[in-house]
Amino acid sequence: MIEADFPLLTIIILLPLLGAILVGSIRDNNLAKQAAFFIAGLVLLLTLLVLFTFDSGQSGYQFVERYEWIPVLNIEYFVGIDGISVLFLPLTALLTLIAIKASWNSITNLPRLHFAMLLVLESVSIGIFCALDTILFFLFWELTLPPFFFLIGLWGVGSQRRHAAMKYTLFMITGGVSLLLAFIVLAANHAFYTEGSIPQALTFSLPVLLSTPLADNLQMLVFMFLLFGFAVKSPLVPLHTWMPTVAMEGPSHIVATLVGLKLGLYGILRFAMPLAPSAAVEYSWLLSILGALTLIYGALIAIQQTNLRRLLAYASVSHVGLVMVGIASLNMQGLQGAIYQLINFTFIASSLMLIAGFIKQRIGSTEAIHLGGLAKVMPKLTFFYFLFMLASIGVPGTSGFPAELLMIIGALNSHTVLGIVALSGAILGAAYMLSYTRRAFLGPVTHKSLNKVYDLQPKEMALLLVPAFLVLGFGFFPDYILNINQIASQEWLSRLVTDSP
Amino acid sequence: MDFLAILIPLFPLIAAAVIGFGHLFNKINGREDEWISVAIAKTAIVLSCFAAIALLASDLLGLNSGTYNVGQWFASESFVIEINYISSGFGVIAAALFSIILVIITRFSVNYIHKESGFHRFFFMLSLFSFAMLYLVLSGNAVGTFIGWELAGLCSYFLISFAYDRPIAAINATRVFVTNRIGDAGFILGIGLSFYYVGTVNWNEINGIADQLTMPTATVISLCFVVAAFAKSAQLPFSPWLARAMEGPTPSSALFYGAVMIHAGVFLVILLQPIIEQALLVMGLLVVVGLFTAIYSFIVGLTQTDVKSSICFAITGQIGLMFLECGLGLWELAMWHLCAHSIVRGYQVMTAPSLLHYVHGNPMKPVSSSIVNVRWLYITSLQRFWLDPIADRALVRPIKGLGHDLDHFDKNFVDRAMGAPKPAGNTISSLNQLEQKILGTRQDSAHEDFVRSNGVVGKIFEWGANIMSWFEERLVLRGIGADTVDIGRKLGQAANTFEQLILKPRYLVLFVFVVLMIAASI
Repeated sequence: MIEADFPLLTIIILLPLLGAILVGSIRDNNLAKQAAFFIAGLVLLLTLLVLFTFDSGQSGYQFVERYEWIPVLNIEYFVGIDGISVLFLPLTALLTLIAIKASWNSITNLPRLHFAMLLVLESVSIGIFCALDTILFFLFWELTLPPFFFLIGLWGVGSQRRHAAMKYTLFMITGGVSLLLAFIVLAANHAFYTEGSIPQALTFSLPVLLSTPLADNLQMLVFMFLLFGFAVKSPLVPLHTWMPTVAMEGPSHIVATLVGLKLGLYGILRFAMPLAPSAAVEYSWLLSILGALTLIYGALIAIQQTNLRRLLAYASVSHVGLVMVGIASLNMQGLQGAIYQLINFTFIASSLMLIAGFIKQRIGSTEAIHLGGLAKVMPKLTFFYFLFMLASIGVPGTSGFPAELLMIIGALNSHTVLGIVALSGAILGAAYMLSYTRRAFLGPVTHKSLNKVYDLQPKEMALLLVPAFLVLGFGFFPDYILNINQIASQEWLSRLVTDSP
Repeated sequence: MDFLAILIPLFPLIAAAVIGFGHLFNKINGREDEWISVAIAKTAIVLSCFAAIALLASDLLGLNSGTYNVGQWFASESFVIEINYISSGFGVIAAALFSIILVIITRFSVNYIHKESGFHRFFFMLSLFSFAMLYLVLSGNAVGTFIGWELAGLCSYFLISFAYDRPIAAINATRVFVTNRIGDAGFILGIGLSFYYVGTVNWNEINGIADQLTMPTATVISLCFVVAAFAKSAQLPFSPWLARAMEGPTPSSALFYGAVMIHAGVFLVILLQPIIEQALLVMGLLVVVGLFTAIYSFIVGLTQTDVKSSICFAITGQIGLMFLECGLGLWELAMWHLCAHSIVRGYQVMTAPSLLHYVHGNPMKPVSSSIVNVRWLYITSLQRFWLDPIADRALVRPIKGLGHDLDHFDKNFVDRAMGAPKPAGNTISSLNQLEQKILGTRQDSAHEDFVRSNGVVGKIFEWGANIMSWFEERLVLRGIGADTVDIGRKLGQAANTFEQLILKPRYLVLFVFVVLMIAASI
């Protein structure tokens, strides 16, 4: 563990929060927007600084900061990052920046509140990736709810946006309760283990909890609680129904953030499995079956969708299933592939959602029946759509390929049948994406009004260019990502494999 | 001279990148810039061609070491993927041959595509395809070959849908890509299994220890690759995709399905010769599938009335014969066959539009008299053995149906079971619901006094009668009567739906699938 000499992570977490207050208090809407953009840019630069000073050769956490927060319960402000989480920081910042730019002109109602909320969301999301104290993590986790609630409910595009916001929040609160229970059980277990009394010997710090042994029956309890809590957010079938609703009702840049940041899967990776290692190993079959089920279920429903946003929601569910299969394979290839795919989501799934938003903004619908022949009228948008679509189905040359290959290889090596399921998911993936593409983008232009539609404007193209370069860059040089998380992944695995019987 | 192997695929890749980005940023656009795309694509492929010929020459002179390793591409623990090339053997011959054909067809396309919309797109795809194909034949590891394999399939998708505003082209392109994807899944499975059993994905190492593998292992690994080869080379049961693929512009048809890409499957089988020879079962499969495809293509070819489709069945037939030769162990013959076929067929498809012109006046050779009167054969041939409808029935429709049912299930059951609140606007969504609601409210207020009377006794009776009537109406009639009927009807409907679902074979298959999945993972 390397202590930070300079509280960089705290600055990164606090800066957007302070920025939100600033943006909220500036009277002039335009100036407020500029301020939000400037702050998000600054955060991106700082996170890049973290990324470049991060030493991927070191094991353990880096940039660690630790202060007492609630001493009575031994709750600390404890942040740090390792090879698994470091890449999510700049990508979260990038995603926020893109979301701000994407909603630059489309938000006319309460723009200051909107941009302030986006910054709050950035702050707490980065907080989730940095938190090393379970209660701090829980705090950030729950704090994602208010921004999402307001962003979906106030600036949604569908007629039932309030309902969607409510549904999302209710689902997340349900998941949150079980997380908190699990964290309390873990803290109490530490007190019992050290034979201390309850308030004094409680601990919520992740490294300490990781080294505290846990009885088998408690492991199962903790694992199931955590799994449930994170599965709601991931989402795994059958807890996924909030996803299509939000995708249809929410504003596209917010949905892009939502499908881009797979916080639930990160939670499973960081908390659920390492904190209950032998339960995780014992129930890895459950995880992989849940994953395979989600994968096939999402893909089959996606085949039936005629609306791009709903389709992307189910595609995202299906991809979550594949990542779950990768993680549950409990070997290096599956794990690294899964982390790779989580990183991919931040620029592939989100960009596709943004493109859906651009279409919605121009034509008023993403339903295939209202489209048709888009390639003719919007060649540039179609190019980017194809690039991200191909990345999402894992075509070589894009960053989707190494991730998918690694996950499938990992799954084949541990549960061969599940690997085959994952492969059939890849076939279905091509089928649902391409059949929508055929209906909406290819074919003749059936609606005359489409002929007057503008292609991507330079500003919008700029929003897609950075993710596009990331898709190609990580597609051609996958070793960059794999090297960063290699040591952390090894540690993660050795913890599970050595602790298991 | 081994280093030449890197350059051969690299030139077209660079060309593709330059044309692609140039077109995207409007630097290369419109008719007046056509020469730029052409110059880039042509130069690149000519350079590759020279490099390929030089590599072949140095291989024939014995100057090549056989492999050339550039370095690691990516690695996850022991799963290491290198960028390496095979610089001797059949791959080099194929690279030289294919690059010559690529040069010729690139030159041919310049005039053919001239002034069409999508000119730059075409040359971008052509260059990308050249890269894919040359990388496929030269790559020294399975993942590299797969990259070429998949990208070639992708280019084929884009070129079939070249005239994307024609709905048929778009439908065919999608169908072809998804069919090919089944083969690709086999390829990935093959990669996974070779890593699992052999611990590497380098072709040379896999082939090197082929004789140490047990027969089941060799069979499973080679089976996966052979299935991929069948899909790519349009063998049974994947054959129908080829006829759909002929939708694209002629030069690309010549290149993909006449001369180059269609041979990728045979190439893969030849590449895996050592391991396939360990697996007798797979050899047998090659013979059977090759033979049947040849017969199928012959029979179906007899009734084709347009040039492109009769050539298309001639192609699958010849390729079937190549697989047959491989299966019989005549590897050398298969290689010669591949090269010769690729040249002849490339020429034939390119000239297909003017072929009718050339043969004008020559009478067609009549079908042999022994089969000319076999009616069932005629119908079978016309229907192309019903392969497309069978695939539709056996795969496409069940999957779509399953998707449809799951969508319904997701909306009506999963969502409700989660207990989330219903949106307020959704409570009355149809006239029917509205009517029911009105009826319901009327029933609520329907309770009126049962009798009217005077006097104390009368009042007592009235009161009692009203209570009884209320009881009757509220509890007995409504509680048991109306609702029971309603519930019964709903139950009946549910049971009916369940019955219908169970009768569909896809659920039986799904059930078996789930059981297998659970059994395998415990």
